Amino acid sequence: MLSSQHLKLRTGLFWSVPVVLLALPLLTNDYTQYVFNSILIFVLVTLGYNIVIGNLGQLAFANTAFFGMGAYASGLAVQAGVPWIATIPLAGLIGAFGGFIASAVALRGIRLYYLAIMTLAFGELMRWLYIHAKDITGGTDGLALPVQSVFGYALTSDSVKFYIFLAVTVLLVKATLNLLRSHWGRAIMAVRENELATAALGIPTARVIIMAFVWSGFVVGCAGSLFALHTSYVFPESFGMLHLIVSFAMVLVGGPGSVLGAILGATTLTLLPEYLRAFPGMEELFFGLIIIAVLLVLPEGLASLLRKISPLFIERYYRE
Amino acid sequence: MTPLLTVEQLSVSFAGLHALKDLSLTLAQGQILAVIGPNGAGKTTLFNAISGYIPPTGGQVWLAGQDLAGQSPHHIARAGIRRTFQNGGLFPALSVLENVLTGLHAQTRGSFLDIILGRRRAIESERDMIARARDLLTVMGMEKMADTRVGDLSGGQQRIVEIIRTVASEPPVLLLDEPAVGLSPLARDQMMQIIHRLAGERGTGILLIEHAVELVMAGADRLLVMAAGQGIAEGPPDEIRQNRAVLEAYLGHA
Repeated sequence: MLSSQHLKLRTGLFWSVPVVLLALPLLTNDYTQYVFNSILIFVLVTLGYNIVIGNLGQLAFANTAFFGMGAYASGLAVQAGVPWIATIPLAGLIGAFGGFIASAVALRGIRLYYLAIMTLAFGELMRWLYIHAKDITGGTDGLALPVQSVFGYALTSDSVKFYIFLAVTVLLVKATLNLLRSHWGRAIMAVRENELATAALGIPTARVIIMAFVWSGFVVGCAGSLFALHTSYVFPESFGMLHLIVSFAMVLVGGPGSVLGAILGATTLTLLPEYLRAFPGMEELFFGLIIIAVLLVLPEGLASLLRKISPLFIERYYRE
Repeated sequence: MTPLLTVEQLSVSFAGLHALKDLSLTLAQGQILAVIGPNGAGKTTLFNAISGYIPPTGGQVWLAGQDLAGQSPHHIARAGIRRTFQNGGLFPALSVLENVLTGLHAQTRGSFLDIILGRRRAIESERDMIARARDLLTVMGMEKMADTRVGDLSGGQQRIVEIIRTVASEPPVLLLDEPAVGLSPLARDQMMQIIHRLAGERGTGILLIEHAVELVMAGADRLLVMAAGQGIAEGPPDEIRQNRAVLEAYLGHA
């Protein structure tokens, strides 16, 4: 049992991260700020994806579909005159709808490799749609977002975007922790561990699977709307295999099933290519080798390293 | 006394093959009914049919005036029939406390939105359940292991955690599929004590599959002997000991 002092320390540690990050724009230049904004987006992508891969334990690859759906929903709504900030929840709901569709596949009893290939096809189908529904999506040229503003401030500077992204990220991380530390969060992991035994406890496993996919889609969909503003341009090539593989690697490198892991995995693998620029021509090679090395040394991801250092980082799935 | 659980002519057949044929039984409050029989007699099939894991092809399962036959496993569990699994139904990566809490899922309040937004309703219900789970662990002497991963426990401790988790919601009927298999003699005695306490103190009706005949002869109120998917004898242990059909099923024609 964690002592109440321990719990206070953990809460303090959790909130100190965003508070310290408030000062970040003072220390960055335009370029590094852009990279940090990317990190926040990938934290959300990995956070959402991790629920399906790590917590629910399903080999589903529709994550990029949720991301693209969120980004296009946001881009299209902005073009229709909706202020960007209001498109964030909308993108989340569209992503959640994508999650619902993916969960329907899993509920048909299609699992493992079959679920993997079906959900992969879902992602590619969406990309085909972005390319071919030219009249709506702009086809391969994509959608350009007009300059947005919030309360009269033009959203052109990456520092201003950073504060909004940070707020959205903190809210969604907190909400996800709330979910995972509840009876439904435990039920999601119970399904991963033993689906038959979960039903014997009076837990409706179908609802659990739908819930995990829908929340995953919501978080990733929200990330999509941040991405639309971040690049101020939405086009199909952003939502292909590369994005999927990178986000999958982020889940594994961080530590499947761990919220802390999602944050660490996304941060590390977003920063890594920036450092690898020092080795032109060898970037992809080193990127791959480093991922392999981390997984060999830490099969449970970077989060497991922190757990070994201090029990403060052990994640508990209940809330006292 | 009106029975708690009544199973009437329950049948399961696969492609014309009867895995379970017209099996009937009654279970009273606080009664321990042991199901014995040779391998392949249909004992686990009976459990699966009652708990909804195999849809019965005929018959009824009555609990509190409601026929549960053919309902889904989670519905039957909520109605009050809870079971354990022969090969263990625990969640090894979760802690002891988290495992026990999953047994209280149906009692935990708070909608999805309450949970996500961290509303008081959800948090208070969660706290109540944690207190209940901790009390149970204390009664069973396992409070020190609350945060231990279940996968790190010994086989005997795991069996006990599974029982705690299964009875946490205080179900009126409990189906235990070989709870003592693979346990040391000491742990086996401990397990039988727990089963007796549940029946005696809570009045739980317990259906128990057990291979160790001497164990149930001593520990069960009544015995149901199965062979080839059918019930061939039912009665108190002393009566079963003398039963000709039972001797034949176990020993062949003597």
